[in-house]
Amino acid sequence: MVGAGSALEAANSLCHACVDLLEVDGASISLMHEGNSRGTFGSSNELSRRLDSLQYTFGEGPCLDAVREGRPVLATDLSDPQDQRWPAFRDAMLESGVRAVFALPVAVASSYVGALDLFRSQKGEMTTEALTGGLMAAELAALPLLDLMTADVDWEGAGQGDDGWEQLASLERVEVYQATGMIMGAMEMGPSEALVRLRAHAYARGMTASELAWAVVERRLQLDVDDWSGDAGDVTGPAR
Amino acid sequence: MTAGREREVTRAFVSLASNLANGYDVVDLLNDLTVDCARLLDVASAGLLLADGRGVLHVMAASSERTRQLEVFQLQRAEGPCRDCFHEQKAIPVPDLAAQAARWPQFVPAALEAGFASVHALPMRLRDNGLGALGLFGTTVGALGPDDLSLGQALADVASVALVQDNAAADRTAVNEQLQTALTSRVVLEQAKGVLAQQGELDMPQAFAVLRKYARDHNLPLTKVAQAIVSRALPAEAALDHARTRGQSRS
Repeated sequence: MVGAGSALEAANSLCHACVDLLEVDGASISLMHEGNSRGTFGSSNELSRRLDSLQYTFGEGPCLDAVREGRPVLATDLSDPQDQRWPAFRDAMLESGVRAVFALPVAVASSYVGALDLFRSQKGEMTTEALTGGLMAAELAALPLLDLMTADVDWEGAGQGDDGWEQLASLERVEVYQATGMIMGAMEMGPSEALVRLRAHAYARGMTASELAWAVVERRLQLDVDDWSGDAGDVTGPAR
Repeated sequence: MTAGREREVTRAFVSLASNLANGYDVVDLLNDLTVDCARLLDVASAGLLLADGRGVLHVMAASSERTRQLEVFQLQRAEGPCRDCFHEQKAIPVPDLAAQAARWPQFVPAALEAGFASVHALPMRLRDNGLGALGLFGTTVGALGPDDLSLGQALADVASVALVQDNAAADRTAVNEQLQTALTSRVVLEQAKGVLAQQGELDMPQAFAVLRKYARDHNLPLTKVAQAIVSRALPAEAALDHARTRGQSRS
């Protein structure tokens, strides 16, 4: 994975920021992308990374539920015998001194591809401010996950000068949603995969996601399966 | 108000009220509402911008699919009367866009190029919560009359009520969650239009008509049908076939 280094770095920094700002003791980001690349891809420390990946070992945990259900899953007191949602995962948490875990889903192109897990040694709810901050961090986590999903693109230096919110905003546009759907229709892939392809293509051509999306929507760019999965064809017609 | 228009206004509100009473699809309802605005008010185009949890505005519904017009709505994430309207929580009337080029240096030229000459932005709010803004765009210079403005605000208020369904849970977190759900439904709708446009060789308005016809004829919420197309639980071909064999939708 050529471009994975900087994406992992970004994911780790985001986890460290969560620990500094959100009154939690550990944080990790995991990716559950259409089965093939599952795993923990960023963390604030080794313990958080290990705890997070335990969910894959046990096949249960708040992060898996958060992705499946597409909503935050909050366990405010794992020592509460009433909470029997993830018995194996829970015991491992308690043994490691974790009493509360908050799993916030990460969405890419309307589908949930991963989660931000926040661990705390004290039981109790998150404050409203911390939860709001956590939800924002989960939004930002979409960027390193998108990069990780595009193993064949070197994102080093891509989007320079843009902050994370600007990069996200460049994808949150009507024409990008429509073009994503057209790519889905042409290639028979899911929305997150289609957005990953769109973004990689735009980058390879030195275009913005919006410019490439308009070219797709206005059919100036052919969605040829062979072309699209490797190198791209030409954009015809006047540039907007 | 002429008798003909009064009848149309009544019909629009009766239809909205019955949708609200009988369970409704928020994307479908808001789309109808922007079309109603463009038809009933003295404007050429109407667009509804909703704020997400960070206060960033997104296009939730628009009466027109024309790309340049959509771009004018989208631009207002950075600057423009709808953005100011949302932040200041008050109506922003701009009867002569060209005269405000200094105030919005990016928005004004883009709006003029798209053929607009005036805009009136009306706030969407529920009690203390700002939700977004309704933008009413005209192709001629001039202020909207008080009748049009109050009718526009009434339509914006209905949209706000439709968006935040549970009045009891109106704290900011609950409101943000409902707005996010509505915005995600919009994303899925646009993706489903893309899938249908690609597989049926249609443009976006035609793809929307196919989707809506399938939803109406099967008595399903528009959002559910869009989700099914995107997840491939409903093959795009099935919706396309339905539209071909059953003719064009009347609405």
